[in-house]
Amino acid sequence: MTLSTPDKELLHEIETLKHDFNHTIDKLTKDIKRHSKIILRSDHRQQYEYDALQKRHQEVKDLNEEIEATQCEVVFTLGAIGEHRSKETGYHVKRVAQYTYLLAKYSGIAEEECELLKQASPLHDIGKVAIPDAILNKPGRLDADEFTVMKEHAQIGYEMLQYSQRPLLKTAAIVAHQHHEKYNGTGYPQGLEGKQIHIYGRITALADVFDALSCRRVYKASWKDEAIFAYLKQERGEHFDPKLIDIFFDHLDEFIAIRSQLEDTY
Amino acid sequence: MDNFIAEGTQHTPNISMNASTGVISMSGQSYPENTFEFYQPVMAWLLDFFASTPQTDIEVNMEIIYFNSGSSKFFFDFFDIFDAEKNNYKITINWIYNPENTRALEAGEDFIEDFVNLSINLVTTK
Repeated sequence: MTLSTPDKELLHEIETLKHDFNHTIDKLTKDIKRHSKIILRSDHRQQYEYDALQKRHQEVKDLNEEIEATQCEVVFTLGAIGEHRSKETGYHVKRVAQYTYLLAKYSGIAEEECELLKQASPLHDIGKVAIPDAILNKPGRLDADEFTVMKEHAQIGYEMLQYSQRPLLKTAAIVAHQHHEKYNGTGYPQGLEGKQIHIYGRITALADVFDALSCRRVYKASWKDEAIFAYLKQERGEHFDPKLIDIFFDHLDEFIAIRSQLEDTY
Repeated sequence: MDNFIAEGTQHTPNISMNASTGVISMSGQSYPENTFEFYQPVMAWLLDFFASTPQTDIEVNMEIIYFNSGSSKFFFDFFDIFDAEKNNYKITINWIYNPENTRALEAGEDFIEDFVNLSINLVTTK
């Protein structure tokens, strides 16, 4: 049987179509198979990468916490060195830290800054490392010359810390420098007055004095609460920032709670 | 014809395609925002390259540490072009991976599986 020319052409056309069709089917099959492979592998990679990312993120977080805890402990220890030489207990710096935090918080200072002050305020007396033992631990009152030497600890502390660019130590430098300034301008070393005294200085001044009066020291017994409160009220606007005194009495129970929690043991 | 050079970014690899030496290299990571758009000029260059009937062997070095699914699709399409030209040129593809990066190794194995007639080598970085 011989095919007519048109039939031959038609068959040829069908053959070509079949070839093209098969080719397209092959390509589609390949693409579909590839596609699911691509997605499967991609999901696998994504899962792996994200897991690794989360793990690293957690490591960084842990490390950060470790650094902060270490920093906190080093600062407390450093502060305690200054206090230890003057026979204070380590609890003094811890209480001052908590008091300064509360005063800062109720003054409306941002949480992060309150935390910074809490960590820095234990260094307020660091300059005392440079004060001779005979003066630092003298039982009884210091004479005028001795007191002049003693007062240098504020300036010395400032000079020790002032060159740091770290926010924590910069804060500590302010605290060390200004914690003996008085609101009425009669404090030292600069005789600053009112708002000239940095809020960190004003806060630490109150925290330090409240704690000093509450506790026994080499040269004195602790004061009774009524006497302490009377003194603080009397010094409202004199030694202390009146706003901080108001805050202190508005939240007295919280300050007393800290004092009880971090009580000295003799 | 001109060579093709693209500096790597955070999302895209370094790309270097040399028309006279026939060396084509990609290294880095690949997860562009629009993968298709990003690789379009790369595909176009490669098609032009083959259209210019180069007188050289071809060496492809791929060192991709991380890539998205779009890039994966691109690699398959990219290799399809070499696959179509495999009888006309001596083409060597090196899929370079860090031994610790098992995902990159798996990808290389997938390409080998798919392109049985292409010469794809799995090469570890030192």
